[in-house]
Amino acid sequence: MIAPVAAWLLQDLMQVLAMGFMLVPEFFMLVVVYRTISGPLLPRRVSWWIWFAFAGGILWDMRWAAIPGMSGLINVAAVVLVYWVWNRTPVSGRGALLFAGLAGGMHFLSGVAHYFAWSVPSQAATRMFLVQQLLSIPVLAGLCLIYAFRASEPHV
Amino acid sequence: MVNKLNPILVSSLLALLFGLMTLWASYKFPAAVRVAVDNVGVFLSYPERPAQEIRTLVQATGNWVMERKSLQDRNRELEVENLALRTALQNVTIPSPVSTSELIGARVTLRYPEAWWKEVRVNRGSLHGVRVGAPAISDGYMIGKVVRVGEDYSWVELITSSSFMLAAVVNETWDLGVINGDDRGNVWLFYMPPEREFRRGMMISTAMVGDYLPPGIPIGRIWGSGETRDGFTPQSVASGAHLTQLYNLQILSSGAEGARN
Repeated sequence: MIAPVAAWLLQDLMQVLAMGFMLVPEFFMLVVVYRTISGPLLPRRVSWWIWFAFAGGILWDMRWAAIPGMSGLINVAAVVLVYWVWNRTPVSGRGALLFAGLAGGMHFLSGVAHYFAWSVPSQAATRMFLVQQLLSIPVLAGLCLIYAFRASEPHV
Repeated sequence: MVNKLNPILVSSLLALLFGLMTLWASYKFPAAVRVAVDNVGVFLSYPERPAQEIRTLVQATGNWVMERKSLQDRNRELEVENLALRTALQNVTIPSPVSTSELIGARVTLRYPEAWWKEVRVNRGSLHGVRVGAPAISDGYMIGKVVRVGEDYSWVELITSSSFMLAAVVNETWDLGVINGDDRGNVWLFYMPPEREFRRGMMISTAMVGDYLPPGIPIGRIWGSGETRDGFTPQSVASGAHLTQLYNLQILSSGAEGARN
């Protein structure tokens, strides 16, 4: 739980620094997605991450959007969709690349949803959206590396 | 599988339902949402403080740099404007040289820094009656002679030039010498006998050497004596004209006769 909270705070602090000229990547959502699929897919555990994603989204909306609910819904949808695909993928196919594709796709969809929900489509808004997506690539790469590293460790 | 999915499905649906309700509430009860938003903002202001400080610092630094650049640009503009105004003012305050039947008024149009003490170009030439060898005068003192003439310009070699040679006489003693410069602003009167006593302030004028140069045009005054060499003691001469700020001068026309005091 510490990692997602830290990710939320990091996202918040970076947004404070970049306020007005950049949208920071959705660190929180990516970390929650990662944590959801990186452990055993137990119903209670997954439910916990769904509510955690929801709470983080609501808090984010209250801090930055003043229209609570949107980010909460997007986060929940992202976690559920990733879980759904991941759960239906054979264990042999669950790898870092699949995680990258799912998390990256969710991040992209989240960005698109925010783009159309809150900003007036313009060149500046499009540029901010693209920068946000580009900045998420190193975060995704880092999470993929961590996943690959942990997956390569012998299970006790 | 169904049992496994159920809690997740229920949680998902409930979360989505709560999300939609929150969205609906935010539109329906904006005042309550504002209170909640304010409280969250206050709560988060503590962990966000370092980031806020850094942002403020970065902004202040950026503003300082922008302001400094803006001030520098403005300063440059003002300097250029000031130079233009000063030049315009200078042109206005410089008295226009007066031409008479004997003297041709001319304005200095060019004075090379590397030949500052050698020559100047003026805006009068052969069309105005200027001839080679004619003396140039400023403030009533001879400062040089015309060495090259164009139609509407001419070059005047200054008495401070090392190639300038002119016969001159000390008014008080009638001793004859040769005026010569050193390209550094100094003027010397050479071939003066060492046994004669020259005092500071004695007037030096042109001597009778030809038709083009009338005798008796003042050049300057004796300022001091140099070292005696080869049987002569050169005398340092202070020009009567202000050679460092030479904006205009007069050229003796070819038809002039007699000395001008």
